[in-house]
Amino acid sequence: MTLTDPLPDLRWVDIDVDGALAETEAAAAPWTRADFLRGGLGALLGSLAVPALAGAASKPDRGDVAILNYALTLEELQAAFYTETEQANALKGETKVQARVVGGHERAHVKAFRDVLGSKAGKQPSFDFRGVTENEDDFRRTAVAFEDLAVAAYKAQAPAIRSKAYLAAAIGIHSVEARHAGWIRRLAGRSPVNTAFDEPISATRVRAIVAKTNFVTSSPKTGTKKGSPRFTG
Amino acid sequence: MITTAGEAWRRGGRVAGAALGALVVGLAGLVLVGPFGAGGDDGGGLGAPLPAPPKSALNIPRPLALAAADRRATRWAPVRIPVVARRAPSLRAAGVTMLATKTPEGTANLVVVLPGALRRGGRLWVRARVPARAQEPMTGWVPRRSLGGYRVVKTRLVVDLRGRTATLMRAGRVVLRAPVGVGLPASPTPRGEFYVRDRLERYASPVYGPLAFGTSARSNLSEWPAGGFVGIHGTDQPQLVPGSVSRGCIRMRNADIERLGRLMPVGTPLRIR
Repeated sequence: MTLTDPLPDLRWVDIDVDGALAETEAAAAPWTRADFLRGGLGALLGSLAVPALAGAASKPDRGDVAILNYALTLEELQAAFYTETEQANALKGETKVQARVVGGHERAHVKAFRDVLGSKAGKQPSFDFRGVTENEDDFRRTAVAFEDLAVAAYKAQAPAIRSKAYLAAAIGIHSVEARHAGWIRRLAGRSPVNTAFDEPISATRVRAIVAKTNFVTSSPKTGTKKGSPRFTG
Repeated sequence: MITTAGEAWRRGGRVAGAALGALVVGLAGLVLVGPFGAGGDDGGGLGAPLPAPPKSALNIPRPLALAAADRRATRWAPVRIPVVARRAPSLRAAGVTMLATKTPEGTANLVVVLPGALRRGGRLWVRARVPARAQEPMTGWVPRRSLGGYRVVKTRLVVDLRGRTATLMRAGRVVLRAPVGVGLPASPTPRGEFYVRDRLERYASPVYGPLAFGTSARSNLSEWPAGGFVGIHGTDQPQLVPGSVSRGCIRMRNADIERLGRLMPVGTPLRIR
């Protein structure tokens, strides 16, 4: 497995019906390097002047909101994956422990992002994991891909985060994701670490990879406000 | 040059002694100067003053374990591809019923998925509750790929035909209990394990009250249009509730069906006993 092809064994169908990933990418796209350079100096100086106060009290600016929402979407994907795995209860041994422990971390990440983003948080996507949560081999292969992808995605966005306080949070999560990756790679019979330097993966590339899994779906329409009931009465 | 064993030992001892002395001097140097030579004019090394780490803007909570109610939640999934539900996880097994992608009301058809997926014949199979009459099999095996993504509910509805009550539970606790009208002796409400599969509002007929839920239960009125499915709905004759009054449907007073509408999601398991 390589970083340029993190999900080699899964079905490749282009779809992101809910548009949750597209939404986060669209929000991030206008935030260019030029924007960062124009607006970043003041924020940088401010955070250098009062590093201890740049923490929880500060609200993320527009560019950081886009990155946080992008991270939130990836965390939602992972949290839903591990939660569904635990509910399916099809794993055994250390793999089962890994899913339970890592799921707890990913749900904590989701809560933290949603708490800080508040009303600016993107909508929660719907997922269809197509059985990979109900089979040990499929689970391990998918979990390796998700964790490797998360590590590379955080690495790509971290340098663009303007607030040091949010950068500190992202780095704290990034290293946890790397530990998750090492753990599941070992359980999958792969080397926990096989390079001296990890390459980042851009948001565009991450979005394309996730979309091709077909894991992000639309919510089924289970209600209607037109037409009459046809029940027996 | 030929030396004796004693000379070699004495020579080796001198070498070892010199090495030990050098080690002691080196360790003393580490203690005094620091392991990376910090303290020099270039400001490098661990001894140099560096800024305190910034505080994280995110309050990352402790790991959030899945609550017992979430682990035991009922899973349901939409039918993505029309499929035959079978008696066993095999394409050669007898069919139980055909599952379409839409209900007669045009909403997404769905099934409740039971625990225990199996891989057979290169396919992953899951066992699901399926629409049925009282005397028919109420579960069948379908290939996992014919279903969409799982959703979960923590509610379950129990309808007691003798007591003529409906009781909604969430995470094992009663959150609603209300009187109901049930089927007449000639058209009884079927007993068994079913589920709620859609929700209808803003229709014109006052007979069904303001809100109706479709279920997977089918009455014995097989000639009834659209398959004779049992609904849970309001009424324009509240004075008949509770009672044995319907053609199989579960009738509730309008205030009660509206309360149920606020509490019960689609996918909720339904036990009629």
